[in-house]
Amino acid sequence: MSVTGDSLDGIVSEAEAAIAAASSVQELVEIRARFLGKKGSVTAVLRGVGDLSAEQRSRVGQTANAAKQRIESRARERRAALEREGRGRVLAERRLDVTLPGHSPPLGHLHPVTLVERDMCDFFTSLGYSIEDGPEVESDYNNFSALNFPDDHPARDTQDTMFVSGGNLLRTHTSNVQIRAMTGRTPPFRFVAPGRVYRHDLDATHYPMFHQIEAFCVGEDVTFADLKGTLYAFARHLMGSDVKLRFRPHFFPFTEPSAEMDFEWEGQWLEWGGCGMIHPQVLRNCRIDPERHQGFAFGMGIDRTAMERFGIPSIQLLFDGDARVMEQI
Amino acid sequence: MRVSVDWLSEWVDLPDTVEELEERLTMGGLEIEEVIRTGPDLSGLRVGLVVEHARHPDADRLSVCRVDLGEGEPLEVVCGAPNVAAGQKVAVATHGTVLPSGDKVKRSKIRGVRSNGMICSDREMNLGEDHQGIRVLPPEAPVGARLDEVIPSGETVLDVEIIPNRGDWVSMLGMAREVRAHYGGEIRVPAAEVAEGERPASDDIRIEIDDCAGCHRYVARIVRGIQVGPSPEWLRARLEAVGLRSINSIVDVTNLVMFEYGQPLHAFDLAKLRGGVVRVRAAESGEKIATLDGQTRELVPEDLVIADAEGAIAIAGVMGGAESEVGDQTTEVLIESAHFQPSRVRRTARRLGLQTDASYRFERGVDPEGAGRAAARAARLIQELAGGTVSRGEVVAQGEPPPVTEEIRLDPARANRLLGTEIPEEEMIALLSRQDIEATRNADGPLVCRPPSFRSDLHIAEDLIEEIARIHGYQHIPTTLPEGAFEGVELPPRRRLVLEVSDSLKGSGLTEVMTFPAARSGDFNGLQLDADDDRRRAVELENPIQSTDPVLRTTLVPSLLRAAQTNLRRQVERLRLFEVGRVFLAREGEELPEEPLQAVALLTDAGEASLWESKSVPVFFQAKGVGERLMADLGRSCTFRAGTREPYLHPGAAGEFWIGETPIAAVGELHPETAAHFEVEAATALLVVDLEAMGRIPRRDPQYREVSQYPSVRRDLAVVLDRATEAGEVLEAIRKTGGASLASAEVFDRWEGRGVPEGKVSLTFRLIFQRTERNLTDSEVVKATDRVVNLLAHRFGGELR
Repeated sequence: MSVTGDSLDGIVSEAEAAIAAASSVQELVEIRARFLGKKGSVTAVLRGVGDLSAEQRSRVGQTANAAKQRIESRARERRAALEREGRGRVLAERRLDVTLPGHSPPLGHLHPVTLVERDMCDFFTSLGYSIEDGPEVESDYNNFSALNFPDDHPARDTQDTMFVSGGNLLRTHTSNVQIRAMTGRTPPFRFVAPGRVYRHDLDATHYPMFHQIEAFCVGEDVTFADLKGTLYAFARHLMGSDVKLRFRPHFFPFTEPSAEMDFEWEGQWLEWGGCGMIHPQVLRNCRIDPERHQGFAFGMGIDRTAMERFGIPSIQLLFDGDARVMEQI
Repeated sequence: MRVSVDWLSEWVDLPDTVEELEERLTMGGLEIEEVIRTGPDLSGLRVGLVVEHARHPDADRLSVCRVDLGEGEPLEVVCGAPNVAAGQKVAVATHGTVLPSGDKVKRSKIRGVRSNGMICSDREMNLGEDHQGIRVLPPEAPVGARLDEVIPSGETVLDVEIIPNRGDWVSMLGMAREVRAHYGGEIRVPAAEVAEGERPASDDIRIEIDDCAGCHRYVARIVRGIQVGPSPEWLRARLEAVGLRSINSIVDVTNLVMFEYGQPLHAFDLAKLRGGVVRVRAAESGEKIATLDGQTRELVPEDLVIADAEGAIAIAGVMGGAESEVGDQTTEVLIESAHFQPSRVRRTARRLGLQTDASYRFERGVDPEGAGRAAARAARLIQELAGGTVSRGEVVAQGEPPPVTEEIRLDPARANRLLGTEIPEEEMIALLSRQDIEATRNADGPLVCRPPSFRSDLHIAEDLIEEIARIHGYQHIPTTLPEGAFEGVELPPRRRLVLEVSDSLKGSGLTEVMTFPAARSGDFNGLQLDADDDRRRAVELENPIQSTDPVLRTTLVPSLLRAAQTNLRRQVERLRLFEVGRVFLAREGEELPEEPLQAVALLTDAGEASLWESKSVPVFFQAKGVGERLMADLGRSCTFRAGTREPYLHPGAAGEFWIGETPIAAVGELHPETAAHFEVEAATALLVVDLEAMGRIPRRDPQYREVSQYPSVRRDLAVVLDRATEAGEVLEAIRKTGGASLASAEVFDRWEGRGVPEGKVSLTFRLIFQRTERNLTDSEVVKATDRVVNLLAHRFGGELR
């Protein structure tokens, strides 16, 4: 086939027209094949160059290469334009009802008491307190006698004890952990003991099961002032930096001096817990010499704090198992 | 105990306001539960000035007043009282006010004249019986003021909770001492001197103490020739203010003196005592006594009684007997003022379920030296109120002396070291002496302190340190933090496990609940436990909250089922609940039960697909997925075995997670019988995890495996198999057969129904081939796939679809 520059010009014009008219990338691929593919018309010209004289070969070769580049370039431009149009269409057409609910893995919930208990324990571990645990079914000795509750003393009345078979009881406070943790250890040490406790009491504001956290710290010079400072730090952690506390003298068999602490809430003093310096007899019962070591202990409920934090109006709601309540927290 | 502030003010000077007193006593350790006004509530009424007074146009007896209430226009009020006049200050209840009688005042028209309120008489305000005329207020009463600020009605009474070791506080004397400890001043003790007759009291009665441990001291006073009658108004008012009912002048005197000194007294009708003797002895086994409350009580030898020659006439320190009760006919009385052993009184009071004003005081400790004074004071008052003659002297019998702490040594430096204070020694001495504790300096040694007889709570130095700190004020003790080095923080492994398990279950979208750990007796049958199942070894509650729930739970499953039932009944569906907690198993030969930790998850299925999921996942597989995730979260690699030994799970829809040869968790749908027992009607699956077994197996941190940089090849094989074929078994075989190039094999799809013959199931296995060290060749993939196809055909009878 003989070719001239003129016929190539015609091919280029034809290709340019086809490219400009292409309405999809696929069409563009086909057009490119028609001109530049193995059987394409420009390819045929290039293939025929070998038959030409040296002089012609150079001229036609140059012209044909220029034509090929021109078509390639046009096709590239058109392709970019088509893709841009496509993205524009996606942009213009895709409309979701974004107000439909999202598809998330189901959301789980920890119990309010768990959340507050963890928060409290985190505070104490950050102050160097180890966490300690004790049984819920406890002997009279560890729950009462070792804590210096005399037999037949009215102090036992305040505890509303639930008894179990075999002369044992459901612990009425977490203070049994004091006895278990201190026995066999040498001060200094500090412990925090969260746990479940029981009282025989069921009415609108009481549930026979609730949760306490107990902390105790023993060393050579741990003072009542340290007790106050620790409780202030804890109260600030829980209730904010402007919390107000007060300490009222009280009686607990296992501390001397003893106090109850209140915090101020909307102009009212609310009872928070009990505290004091560990009674020397309790230290002796744990084989710690009260002449050498002294320390403080305190305990408070977790449930009330959880109720206040999450605005739960009744303690029954905490233990009723109603999923609609627990799923709110 | 109720403390009348007016009464207390007769004993000791009080601060200016009740609020100040309340604050100071509270900070000293008295728990004041409530401040009560005993009179009618007049806070809704106002002081008015009658500015005009005119006859009612249509009624002779009525008048029309215009009353200025200090704000707005004067109010027109129709009044029927003859004594109303212009210029008077009067008590006015306006429209809407609730009177102390409970009536609500309303606007009305009286014979054609509008009346906008009421001018009140004493009776309308519950201030007295006078209904003849309105109450005219003093001219200085400010117009518009609240009436309760102008007319003091009733008394101010503090309702005080007494801590268990301060028996000495349970009296006016004790309260007065406490006030003096804070404010100083003198205590005004009422007169106890008594004018005695000639006849010696010992002529009338003999006192014998047989049980010397039970009774430390017994003092009797005799008053003869009395006339019993009602008490005078002042005595009745006093007793009413502290919550006691007036009975007669004699009983009222014993109660009054008990409130004054804290010493319980009892008056016997002397004429009814047989044999001229009062004997304090242990009760005889089965001995009966009719007590003052009208009941007959059977006694045990542990109880202490007061007896005459023939039988018990009172339960010592608790309650008197009906037979010797003082009544209108009584002409001579024996007044008992004794000191009984506190724990003995307490045991009897508890055993009989009979807490009285007397037992309350004896339990907490009564002044062992106060018996004579209280008896004399009572004799004097009886003579004043009921006449008669007090016999000469007191009749006294002495038992064993009570244990007394004579002397406590207190090192002031140690006190400061314990408190973290720098209170000077002189100040400590002063703080103690304000509480009648005599502290004297000892050359170079600690202070020597002598507590008064009424402070039976003081035994050791720490007791005194509290007394110093208490009056010094806890608020004045500094606020510091403990110093010193401590070892690293320990976290018990069980706690860590609980945290991890709760976090994982929460992460699976479950909600934590906490339930009371009691179980019903029928629960174990409901769970279909074998007769010898360990979980039937429940710990019994001796005083359960509810008699239907008499034992502690041995598994969490019933707790969760009951929570599910509650929720389903409240129309809460699609439950995803869990609880992590202790169960209690009684142990032979061990003092305390075992308290293993368990976690149970419960899922119910509403059977509906959700918005974005075309079909709902069967609830068993939801629960199994929760278990798989839990094992992964906890770093335990486990195997799954079909079937379970848990009898409350459906045998055809349950399996177990095992680590090595240890079962860790069971998962399954609820057995229909158990579901029926617990009334759980929705499709329900449980995951029951033994955290003790889990805790014994160490956590293994995951280890790195090389990831391939070469492309993978995927082959999906759909095979028709017998319906009974277990996919898990097939997969295991495929993995073994696939060779080194098979990177993973999973079940990709499962289909029963159209296109698959009855009794068959189509499973699609997705095989991924990949090597970490090189590219795969086509022939390798073909060969491995063929091996798998052969395996499926020959071992499982599977046909490719």
